Amino acid sequence: MPIKVGIPRTLLYYYYFPMWKVFFEALGAEVVLSPPSTKRLLAEGLKNAVDEVCLPIKLTFGHVLDLAAKADLIFLPRIVSIEKKEYICPKFLGLPDMIRNLKGLPPLIDVNVNMYRNKSGAYIAAQEAGRFITSNHFKIWNAYRQARKVQKKYFRLLQLGLMPSEAMAVMEDRVRNEHLPEPQDINVVLIGHPYNIYDSYISMNIIKRLRSMGATVLTAEHVPEKIYKKCAACLPKKLFWTLGQHMIGAALYYLNRHDVSGMVHVAAFGCGPDSMTGDLIERYARAAGMPFLNLTIDEHTGEAGIVTRLEAFLDMVMWKKAIII
Amino acid sequence: MKGYIGIDVGSVSTNVVFMDEDGIVRDPIYLRTQGQPITAVQKGLRKLRESMPPGVKIRGVGTTGSGRSLAGIIVRADAIKNEITAHAVASSTLVPGVQTILEIGGQDSKIIILRSGVVSDFSMNNVCAAGTGSFLDQQAARLNIPIEEFGEIALKSKTPVGIAGRCAVFAESDMIHKQQMGCDLSDILAGLCEALVRNYLNNLGKGKEILSPVVFQGGVAANMGMVRAFEKALRLPIQVPTYYNVMGAVGAALLAREAVAKKGQSQFKGFLVSDTEYKAGSFECSGCANQCEVVEIAEGGIIIARWGDRCGKWGNVINQKEKIS
Repeated sequence: MPIKVGIPRTLLYYYYFPMWKVFFEALGAEVVLSPPSTKRLLAEGLKNAVDEVCLPIKLTFGHVLDLAAKADLIFLPRIVSIEKKEYICPKFLGLPDMIRNLKGLPPLIDVNVNMYRNKSGAYIAAQEAGRFITSNHFKIWNAYRQARKVQKKYFRLLQLGLMPSEAMAVMEDRVRNEHLPEPQDINVVLIGHPYNIYDSYISMNIIKRLRSMGATVLTAEHVPEKIYKKCAACLPKKLFWTLGQHMIGAALYYLNRHDVSGMVHVAAFGCGPDSMTGDLIERYARAAGMPFLNLTIDEHTGEAGIVTRLEAFLDMVMWKKAIII
Repeated sequence: MKGYIGIDVGSVSTNVVFMDEDGIVRDPIYLRTQGQPITAVQKGLRKLRESMPPGVKIRGVGTTGSGRSLAGIIVRADAIKNEITAHAVASSTLVPGVQTILEIGGQDSKIIILRSGVVSDFSMNNVCAAGTGSFLDQQAARLNIPIEEFGEIALKSKTPVGIAGRCAVFAESDMIHKQQMGCDLSDILAGLCEALVRNYLNNLGKGKEILSPVVFQGGVAANMGMVRAFEKALRLPIQVPTYYNVMGAVGAALLAREAVAKKGQSQFKGFLVSDTEYKAGSFECSGCANQCEVVEIAEGGIIIARWGDRCGKWGNVINQKEKIS
């Protein structure tokens, strides 16, 4: 029987899941994914997580607990840096050690992912992770090569305008040919951490809601790396965290696009970087005359508040547009 | 006479207005919701019918406020819109050229910025209800003065005391402290008004350009102490429109007029709504771990609408024969 490797459907799942799935499968393991977030998973997470962390980290606790009974190993790398000369939020760094305190968990694959000095940090992490399953170095190298290829394809699909769930459906051949989203009357940019905006439970289905109200949703993940990095470099001072850079770079790029009618920023309550990037983006959006809405999500957000704000925001955007035309 | 009905179902009050074809508002009705939105809507419609001359034709109905979907289903409204849009539409029609709308209701407060007749920015209070009508109500009750006299007493003050208005809980202890020190009641009330205005402008007005004409509406606009505190803080004249407490309903009526003009005819059920028996019930769906609270509305024992489910399993399919649970 193959070893079962559990991967929680949270945090950087939305960026790197296709890669690690192929990697572990090429090594002969079976990948078990936690189910999409639900009230129960979040409740489990809230019960077990420390109080100070942000909503998505609390949710991760719930996902990991769900995997405890299903997997032999849980893949929970200690992510230090995913870009050269940049760090990622320190909560990612502490995550495996926070989770380790939970009872009844299988062993964690808590390898360090550190690409601060150079990009080979990813391969080092893969090597260490692979050793949990096989001691054959060549097999690991081969699996890593396949995984990289898949990852490139996945990022290309995202840049075509697909959402992570749609792109993954294409990667796994669950759909023949995923249609690109039909262009709608207005384009709305949705900026936020990937694990907040793409998790349909904690984001209260914001993407589907915006689409059903007649908007095409654009996100930071649709912007190619070169472009958002160039835009983020326009800031007087570099922002520390990789994801914050990505968000602000993409926001600045979209602010210059004339076909964009509005921008929505989703912040998690208790997220330090969000409170800063959100405010920075708001100032730039205001200066550019772009309609801007800031939504804060936390564990007891009522759906009604989000719906009212989104509705009013889209009314405002469409009203403005109707008068300009 | 022909006209449109606007219904605003808020957390504290339910307002119904009749607006004739020329946009003149007649018969504003202001009721307390008292936790029973359905009954309040029925009562409002009954009162409206009694106050109207015979032979009036209803061309359309619009609903707004936090209970808008519930009310919209009961009367089969032509327009169901969020309160921000409704308030903006009403103000810009009744007060031409308005650039800033301050709105403080029972449990929420909002600021709407308009430029050349179009909403350009808005903001709504978050989870915190400090500084809204309910808090003023509660304080008036604690000091044993009728809420209607609150403003008048506050106006008598010459030297308002300083009160911390960041949080309703702290504001209350600060007020008690000042009262025990022997400060004059009118000075305490005026100080409270100023604290609430400060809190409002810090929370909602942050970064927004507040330009004259400024309109102050919502139930709290009846409080002259608040009006004066706003004038003092903004150094701008504040207008309180005639129908300040039913502006949402006026907006809903205007939106209904627009919707009917587009559609051709109204789908209003008629005044018999107020004599039909409606029942609302709810149950927890056990289909998945989300355990959504599904709300259902029955008309004469037959379910006419359901909502609250994330997946659409209940909301989309309504079996007409089903009985309410």
